[in-house]
Amino acid sequence: MSTTTPIARSQELAALLARIALGDRAAFEALYRATSGPLFGVVLRVNSNRGQAEEVLQEVYVNIWRAAAGYQAQQSQPLTWLTSIARNRAIDSLRRRATEPATVSRYSSLDDGNDGEEQQDLLEKLPADQAGPLELLEQATRAHALERCMQGLSGEQRSSLALAYYQGLSHAEVAEHLAQPLGTVKSWVRRGLQSLKQCLDRAAGLLGTGTAGESA
Amino acid sequence: MDYSRPHMAEKLAAEYALGTLRAGARRRFEQLLPAHPALAAAVARWQLRLQALASPVAAVQPPAHLWPAIQRRLFGAPAPAPRWWQRLSLWRGFSGAASAVALTALVLMNQPQPVQAPLVIVMNSTAEGAELVKAGFVASVSADGQALVLMPLGPLTLAQGRALELWAVPAQGAPRSLGLVAGNSATTVLRAKLLQNTAAFAVSLEPVGGSPTGVPTGPIVSAGQV
Repeated sequence: MSTTTPIARSQELAALLARIALGDRAAFEALYRATSGPLFGVVLRVNSNRGQAEEVLQEVYVNIWRAAAGYQAQQSQPLTWLTSIARNRAIDSLRRRATEPATVSRYSSLDDGNDGEEQQDLLEKLPADQAGPLELLEQATRAHALERCMQGLSGEQRSSLALAYYQGLSHAEVAEHLAQPLGTVKSWVRRGLQSLKQCLDRAAGLLGTGTAGESA
Repeated sequence: MDYSRPHMAEKLAAEYALGTLRAGARRRFEQLLPAHPALAAAVARWQLRLQALASPVAAVQPPAHLWPAIQRRLFGAPAPAPRWWQRLSLWRGFSGAASAVALTALVLMNQPQPVQAPLVIVMNSTAEGAELVKAGFVASVSADGQALVLMPLGPLTLAQGRALELWAVPAQGAPRSLGLVAGNSATTVLRAKLLQNTAAFAVSLEPVGGSPTGVPTGPIVSAGQV
């Protein structure tokens, strides 16, 4: 898609989704042309196996075609909705793979014979051409002026969130990769999300109503 | 687990959006979403909060063979060489109604399974809606439950700012929206499991853009039992 403003782009995508909901295949193709690059990036980020990622991207667009009528413009921006479908299908593909006797993530090969100390460095041991989860988190933080919100999080909380979001790892997998007890990681994730929510919602006045009183 | 407790709903929505739930928990959670609008709204809020994290992820152009593969999966085998129905100019020339009819025909022709008789449901106008709009429809659902064609029995005139929305109504629980439908032409609805847990189909009168709440807000103007 050309260099339009985010709002115009968003309206364009919403209009395409509305036409897709009525079975318009030309609109579907236009949506594919406009979004398949970013969504394939999202899928590959979570599941870096190229063949599986291609399979997942097909599922994503089959999902979009079938679910377009259920897209509610009041509830989410089109790109957020589309990205969420892509992430969810990619995470599903990881969970499916996890039940097979294959490696769960690219880090697994480093596990053998090494103890916790070695594993602390895992986030740094990524191929040079691809940004690691923490690096991406930093980029996102800078791009969206989330510094204040991210500063409220501990290093462990940030690592846990980055591994979960960018690598699609479950609680147990994050625990394994950070060599920490499951309960500890669950509470890092929970507290990390909680602080992020409070800070983001305060900063953005995001959906001001309906979120009050949930800060348990 | 009581998903209606706001604290539990919020916690699960956050973990689902982040992606840390195990396979089984993810599946169970996803199955709950259509029937629990509050839960779905909490998920949408979390997806919005986390969307900023997706922005530094670089786009990757997918290989060219993926698009035809997606079309095959959705619409069956591609038509022979010059795929006339894919040409944009042709589509632009058609009116919406003609497109819908052509699409319906294509969907029916492309059903990969041996042809089984579709389920035909007559939807009568209701007493409740009769003063506003007398709306009778015939809904025919493909035997595999994946496609529904809704045809109005006569042309309908809607008041300005009104739209018709189709619902799948279960024996118990909230109706599922199947999207907006046209009052003066056929509408095709494609869904995975149209007939699963569906006791009746109903059409309600809604504001333009459809029900803002996810459940019917206007009167039911037409209904028929499966």
